[in-house]
Amino acid sequence: MEFNGYAREHGGYGIRNHVLVICSVNCASGVAQAINRALPEVVPVINGYGCGSSGHDTVVMLRTLAGIANNPNVAAVLVIGLGCEGLGAEHLANSIKGKTVECLVIQRDGGSAATTKRGIELAGRFLSLARGQKRVPVPITKLVVGLECGGSDAFSGISANPAVGAAADLLVEAGATTILAETTEMIGTAHILRRRAATPELGEQIEKLVNNQEKKVRHALGEWAGMVITPGNIEGGLSSITEKSLGCIEKGGTTPINEIVGYACRPVQHGLVIMDTPGYDIDSMAGLAAGGAHIILFTTGRGTPAGFPAVPVIKVCSNSTTFKNMPGDIDVNAGTIIEENKSIEQVGQEIYKLMIRVANGELTCAEKNLSIPFNYLKEGPTF
Amino acid sequence: MVSPESRKSEVSMTNNALRTNLADNVIIALQALKKGDMAIVENQKIFEVMEDIQAGHKIALESIAAGEKVYRYGEPIVEATRTINRGEWVHVHNTRPVPSDMTV
Repeated sequence: MEFNGYAREHGGYGIRNHVLVICSVNCASGVAQAINRALPEVVPVINGYGCGSSGHDTVVMLRTLAGIANNPNVAAVLVIGLGCEGLGAEHLANSIKGKTVECLVIQRDGGSAATTKRGIELAGRFLSLARGQKRVPVPITKLVVGLECGGSDAFSGISANPAVGAAADLLVEAGATTILAETTEMIGTAHILRRRAATPELGEQIEKLVNNQEKKVRHALGEWAGMVITPGNIEGGLSSITEKSLGCIEKGGTTPINEIVGYACRPVQHGLVIMDTPGYDIDSMAGLAAGGAHIILFTTGRGTPAGFPAVPVIKVCSNSTTFKNMPGDIDVNAGTIIEENKSIEQVGQEIYKLMIRVANGELTCAEKNLSIPFNYLKEGPTF
Repeated sequence: MVSPESRKSEVSMTNNALRTNLADNVIIALQALKKGDMAIVENQKIFEVMEDIQAGHKIALESIAAGEKVYRYGEPIVEATRTINRGEWVHVHNTRPVPSDMTV
């Protein structure tokens, strides 16, 4: 099985050829937005921080922003900095490898107006270069697919998540990589995930990861820790956190877990990989995008329009009511498993086929809507 | 003339419940079921539901004794706190979390 993608310098392949305009600090976001208004085709990445963070948060910030810029769907990057920020624009630009990168610094380059003018020239040139690049056949083994859920409901664990799991199994069978994220939503299943690891050592790591997350949740939420299973979940029919989390990890399918990676880190192995991300969708998708995901399969019950910069997000809805209530936001209606007797495997096939079409260039709902919220994991205070 | 497909759809039943794994001892209601309704899984009537069940909730596929585990997705999710008969609703009122599942 093949798809047509864009070859990158270091052997990777993208399914999109985006030009990113990324600001190293929020103070520079006005210029990034002005460049985006002049050139609607560029993808703006508006960094909400970039200064006043702890050392740990700055490391994660750099890894995430550089990881997204290094995502194979990105052809070229324009970094916009202010000049005095904690996360230097030049430092970020130097962390981007194997593609065209330019860096402008507002304090150095003559203020907002001059930086915007120069930025429009540079990004315009990047766009013409990107338009000229042709797609080439790529084996599906090169594809990396992130797995995410948000706004789940009582049907998520019945229809959408198992259907995405069936698609994930097809991908792994074809030799591709899938990344199961959201450690919070694995709480209560550490003993089960441990069994599913490819090696006993990896099994121990997974158990530790999930148990540490449980500890973190208990520490942060105290007596509210029980909120990870909400009254709404119980009303919907879920009897324990284990049952809820099992419904979430259904997205990963049934193949062995071959690797665990940290937030925004790139997997080395193929097959099913776990990434340590928070349950908040936007932060989690940032980790997946920085980890090199070409596509994100995103299940939802209540419905959400959220996509992500540079990464096509395919929405799979658990029920037909939401599908009909939010026309143009959902790509696949897995509610057909409930109302139309479709099998999980059938809908899994539909998702898989759509994914190949999206890899070849078909736009997802979130892409058409230009829905690209951006945020990432930040654990400490701002100083 | 009736095509083979449409004849097939005339006799096929709409599933109102789903089993997530062959090892499961519960099924999940896909729609609200009333006491006395037939649970239909994979186009087969399997038994009468013993009480009203909301959509998304679990129904015992076989009798589950107190202390026995309830399986969904092929994994133990809770354990029964009293005998649960086939066709009965399975939820927090007659089960509890498996104590070792939360280890911290």
